[in-house]
Amino acid sequence: MARFLKAGESQNQKNLNCHTSLQQNIQKMKQLFSYGLNKDFSMRTLKLRFNQKEACLFYYGSIVDGAIINLNIIKPLLENNGDSVGNIVSIENIEEVTDFETANENINSGKAILFVDGDKTAFAMDVADFQHRAVSKSENESTIKGPQDAFTESMNTNISLIRKQLHNSQLINEGIQIGERSKNEVNLIYIKDLVNNDILENVRSRLKEISTDSVRNIEVLEQYLEERPYSLVPTILYTEKPDKATSYLEDGFIVLLMDSSSACLVVPVTFWSFFHNPEDRYLRFFYANFTRALRLLCFYLTLMISASFVAIANFHSEMIPPDLLLAITASRERVPFPLIFEVLIMEIAFELIREAGLRIPNPLGPTIGIVGALILGQAAVEANIISPIIVIVVALSGLSSFALADLNINFTVRLMRFLFIIAAGVYGMLALTGAFLLFFMYTASIKSFGIPFFSPMSPHFISSEDTVFRKPIKKEIFRPSFLRPKDLQKKAKS
Amino acid sequence: MQNNGFLRTKEIIAITLILIGIKLSDSTPTLLAQKAQNGFWSIPILSFVCIFPGFLIMLYLLNKYQDKNVVELFEAINGKWIGKILGIVLFLCAFLSLTLDSRNYIEQIKLLYFPQSPTDMIYFIFIAVVFFGAKKGIEVIGYTCWIAIPFIKVSALCVLLLVMSEIVIQRIFPIFGAGLPIILSEGVKKASIFAELFFLLIAYQSAKKNTMFRKGITFGTVLAILEIILFYLVYASVFDYNSIEKIAFPYHDITQFISFGEFFTNIETIFMVFWLFAAFLKFIIFIYITTWIFAEIFAIRNFEPLLLPFSFLVIMIGLLPMNSATNELVLRETLLTVMSPIFILLPYILWLTAWGKGDLKQ
Repeated sequence: MARFLKAGESQNQKNLNCHTSLQQNIQKMKQLFSYGLNKDFSMRTLKLRFNQKEACLFYYGSIVDGAIINLNIIKPLLENNGDSVGNIVSIENIEEVTDFETANENINSGKAILFVDGDKTAFAMDVADFQHRAVSKSENESTIKGPQDAFTESMNTNISLIRKQLHNSQLINEGIQIGERSKNEVNLIYIKDLVNNDILENVRSRLKEISTDSVRNIEVLEQYLEERPYSLVPTILYTEKPDKATSYLEDGFIVLLMDSSSACLVVPVTFWSFFHNPEDRYLRFFYANFTRALRLLCFYLTLMISASFVAIANFHSEMIPPDLLLAITASRERVPFPLIFEVLIMEIAFELIREAGLRIPNPLGPTIGIVGALILGQAAVEANIISPIIVIVVALSGLSSFALADLNINFTVRLMRFLFIIAAGVYGMLALTGAFLLFFMYTASIKSFGIPFFSPMSPHFISSEDTVFRKPIKKEIFRPSFLRPKDLQKKAKS
Repeated sequence: MQNNGFLRTKEIIAITLILIGIKLSDSTPTLLAQKAQNGFWSIPILSFVCIFPGFLIMLYLLNKYQDKNVVELFEAINGKWIGKILGIVLFLCAFLSLTLDSRNYIEQIKLLYFPQSPTDMIYFIFIAVVFFGAKKGIEVIGYTCWIAIPFIKVSALCVLLLVMSEIVIQRIFPIFGAGLPIILSEGVKKASIFAELFFLLIAYQSAKKNTMFRKGITFGTVLAILEIILFYLVYASVFDYNSIEKIAFPYHDITQFISFGEFFTNIETIFMVFWLFAAFLKFIIFIYITTWIFAEIFAIRNFEPLLLPFSFLVIMIGLLPMNSATNELVLRETLLTVMSPIFILLPYILWLTAWGKGDLKQ
């Protein structure tokens, strides 16, 4: 109880309005930001030329652009004449602040606050310059054809990357503050005359419901926003490509951005969003559908090939042609383990190589190839721990998993694969079919922000029919109607 | 109940096709061939002719009494108590066909693919999958059916194409098999092979619009009967006059017949996967609507928790028959024969009552 009371008190203190006296304000600010202890908190007093009053400027030296402060705030204030502060400083964005709470937030988000003696309102001026990396190539979602830009950790850069592709005054960037101690801003981006208001309101209220001390970045936000944290199936799309985000915006989806994340979230999504790749849209009709067909095959191979092999070899061996069956049996002759055990060993080994390959420092990179190929492949076979055919099967399933570019869906299939292998090992095709059916039905029952996961295929909705395969781009007339956009028809066809 | 009325014509067609159409691949043809021999393929036509007008009357009545499902319709026409009794009869028919059919499918799986496994184990796995599937609700069932149906039908089509070389069309003669009187009487007696249609009426309001449901189920039924007749013809012309009644599971026997080129000679497991898919879905639908009928009779709104006890009951009762022969040739046949008059006459009685009461005038 005492804790809560205390929290309430400090809340009251923060909400205090600014004083008229500059000295009181300075004192309060010093106390709030632990001036002196906090090395990068800067304070600069000056005498304004236009009204001959004392003033004081506060900011965090580490997150503002010093040159801008000097040139556009301090210099004009010291030298120029005018009627008010707003007229004198040459800063894009000036906000009037009347309480310490807002002042606190503003300083934290990289603004400078100017208190003037005898004035109850202070001025917040945007001089933020958070350090970030330059716009670089997308590394995790690489495409051959199409724009290569990737989001960076700076929100302004990210929005500019989106606006670069979408010249539309209806593109809205709405900020919502979340977090109790560290207030971070989530930016909701949508096209106002397309997006469905119910879905937008749903996203907004879900964001506002998040009650936690801080949400650092979009990756953490994704987990707070998720409806089913224990589910294997993702319901939010995570992408680092502005062009992909823009194409979703154009269809009436909502994009979430946060500072300090080099990616964005797209909501609501369907299964097909995870299955697609931005390149599919840039390639010509047949080329794109060819890669889609390949990806579909990869989807099956990753999920099922090991399990199917276990089921067929263990329970339905009559299916394998006799010559092949003899070859397989001969190669397994000296292996002491049951087949399912062999497959599991190899699958886990492959996952190990994959995880290690990801974390290994660059100079040691080639080692992983040697370890993987030689030791696990060759030597394990020669040592009769596994049979050669298993290496083929597992390599195929592992390789295919890389074709599913989206990290989330990639994990889904990689994890489900193990369940299927075990199901196949228990009762052959009967259990495997049952497990697959249940997985499928579970996925069909999932909703992402109220949108059924397999729409627009089932339940059927009008859409551009860009699901498993896509149509020629000129024939894509409609936006996905499961989003209930305000304007269903793309203006492609008159 | 996870039902917001989102199903559309497509999903209803898919549900109907899976629930009715799968009869082409279970042991129903064997049952029919026992008496009618190679004329058995015409029995579904007769049964269809017997039962379809009645079914259309049911749809008409449901349309007249808006916003009701089949059990509520009984009560609206015949009053609370007789309506409930009719509902219970419907439920018993559904439940008994569910258990006997499921045992039948278990025997198929066991005999063909897992001859050494105990029946109860397969039964348990099968019904466990069905239970968890049914838990997802009618909408998800509908979506799944719609996505699964192309695969199931393409696999059936492949069977047809691959078996082409084995067909000797003359084998359908003598065209009436064991004789016209037998075919006629069997056709009427086995009319209840389409009884599932009546059970499906419980889901009348699960479609977005009632017209969608009517369209879907009518179209689905017609498609299913065409498919069934086509496949039965194929069975009759692949297996001969004498052997047809000794074949236990014609569809699976045909899949064992066929090969894909010289190298892949035993490809039945591929077709078994799709057949299993259909079988799982059939029982998911079946157990769901059976439980739904039960819940409607006793006005239980949230009935999905009932699925577990019902699944358990299905296993327990389904295991009672000693062997598949008793189950199939005695119990199931008796059940079909008993059910037929009910479903042939029921719609007319309802219609007459409603007409007598003057409810149809508006």
